[in-house]
Amino acid sequence: MDEKMRIMIVDDEKIVRESLYHWFKRSGHVVETAASGFEALEKLEKVAFDVLFVDIKMPQMDGIEVLRRVKEEYPDTIVIIMTAYGSIESAVEAMKIGASDYLLKPFKPDQLTLAIAKITRQMKLTSKYRYVKGLLDEITRFDNIIGQSRAMQDIFDLIPEVAQTDSSILITGETGTGKELVAKAIHAKSLRSKGPFIAINCGAIPDTLLESELFGHEKGAFTGADRARKGFFEVVSGGTLFLDEIGEISTKMQVDLLRVLEERKVFRIGDRETIDVDFRLITSTRRDLPTEVAEGDFREDFFYRINVITLKIPPLRKRKDDIPLLVEHFLDKYSRETTKRVDHVTREATEFMKRYDWPGNVRELENAIERAVVLSKKRTLGVEDFSFLIPSPAVRSGARTLKEREKDYIQEVLEENDWNVTRSAAVLGINRVTLHKMIKRYNLQRVQ
Amino acid sequence: MSPKKGCIAVVPVGNVPEAALRTVVAQILVHFNLPADILSPLENPEYAFDMRRRQYNAATIIKTFESMPFREYGKVLAILNVDIFIPIFTHVLGEAQEGGRYALASMFRLRKGPDGYSPSMSNILERLAKVALHELGHLFEVVHCADDKCIMHFSGNLQDLDAINLNFCSYCLRYLSESIQKDLKRYGNPGNDRRL
Repeated sequence: MDEKMRIMIVDDEKIVRESLYHWFKRSGHVVETAASGFEALEKLEKVAFDVLFVDIKMPQMDGIEVLRRVKEEYPDTIVIIMTAYGSIESAVEAMKIGASDYLLKPFKPDQLTLAIAKITRQMKLTSKYRYVKGLLDEITRFDNIIGQSRAMQDIFDLIPEVAQTDSSILITGETGTGKELVAKAIHAKSLRSKGPFIAINCGAIPDTLLESELFGHEKGAFTGADRARKGFFEVVSGGTLFLDEIGEISTKMQVDLLRVLEERKVFRIGDRETIDVDFRLITSTRRDLPTEVAEGDFREDFFYRINVITLKIPPLRKRKDDIPLLVEHFLDKYSRETTKRVDHVTREATEFMKRYDWPGNVRELENAIERAVVLSKKRTLGVEDFSFLIPSPAVRSGARTLKEREKDYIQEVLEENDWNVTRSAAVLGINRVTLHKMIKRYNLQRVQ
Repeated sequence: MSPKKGCIAVVPVGNVPEAALRTVVAQILVHFNLPADILSPLENPEYAFDMRRRQYNAATIIKTFESMPFREYGKVLAILNVDIFIPIFTHVLGEAQEGGRYALASMFRLRKGPDGYSPSMSNILERLAKVALHELGHLFEVVHCADDKCIMHFSGNLQDLDAINLNFCSYCLRYLSESIQKDLKRYGNPGNDRRL
């Protein structure tokens, strides 16, 4: 015995449960028993086990069904099937479903030792696999930004490229898409990474206060300025200034900022001396600035100054493939933070989350997982744990016709599969020709 | 408080050679530093015979022992000459109640060599001593050991049993010593003020 394991013996025969219980206990393992498949699954919901020894022949729920459910819900749990001579076929079936081994009852004492040695090897391999998976996760994660969808991979590719320049960057995307994370990642990969990164939410600060925060002020410059204060333009020297919600600032502030960007000099409020500043500007907005420029609500010259490079962060509903990865990440994060062992989400719950529109994007998803983890009394989160997610009006509306729903669904599937007709047709359960006809009938077009 | 509580009872069940009993008693004294009494032999445990398996159920034997008058002894070790089993295993060489009072050691399978050869009597006695000390170790709550030379290492077959030493590893010895001292405090010293 090398590794101390958490083992559960699932057998309707008390004598078998007790014998194995004592044998494993004697070997220093943590052992539990269950007299039925239902009891085993109930226990598994609360506590994780490394290995289950499951008897095939049990009333109500047999060992095969237990194995099937365990492999579906807790694929990391190793299952060893115990069987009598009469049920070899079932043992073969069990191996096909995912049992790691089977033991013919009664077994020779050394067979159990061999089975345990095999499990230990398997667990070591699993931990190696997890290590390699961790390395792979690095590929789907970029400085805490997570995504395997093509849209996110494109952004991951762009970040190091744009980081090397000193040009202003405008990050666009809906609220909660992770614009600040992208800004931080650019800063971290840039030559300015050793300098400060300062983020200011322009939408949360009144214009006058924003001016004083950015430019600084001299003592007595205005009522309440009882001492001189450096502005963020000075403090951020050598680093990156991130102005979140840039679309919210006034026209006057746009002019002031434009001057700073062009001259690289600032005046503190109440001072006539110019101060040289050296920073890289990254801005972000959830608004449609080109339209606002066209309508005269946002200064064109300032827009072009901040928009040398644009990064568009897609909303979560346009990259639903990333949802399982994000769910796994937040589940891990909040299980650790709350010290609650919640490590799985049922397939149904994942599908439910993929159907939801996530108007609050990744932030809303993160909050949803945190809430579900905190309130859950089980290891596995099901659809019922996410009942607080209210479907968007479009989904809830009963006024839409079946055809409208069909059209929307086909559009959604096409977008999810990057307009790959073969893949989309497979998801929809129709053939390619039918899908082409439907695209034509509904006049569907790729959403830009 | 009985003066025998710190003394181990060695009970022959069926036809057990005298040399086997003396070997076990001597090994208990050497490794546990506790005295052991050889009690009068008991009949073969026919009540525990399983007709289908043609073997004796170890759990039934231990259960029957619980109702026998061994009350003055803290631990009881029965030496048998029949094939014993527990339901999940084809056979066992010994069986014990973890941290309890009763343990069994069977000589039945020790008389065969893995390749069919007949081992010498001294080899058989050494095997018996290993099984007896291993099971007694369980009575003192010592669990299986990862050290494949330690007597508390689980031996799934005779080759494994022959490969282990007739000794406890330093960790198991320390644990055993503490457990025996705890036991002696609880039941009193049987007369010998020995320390492991």
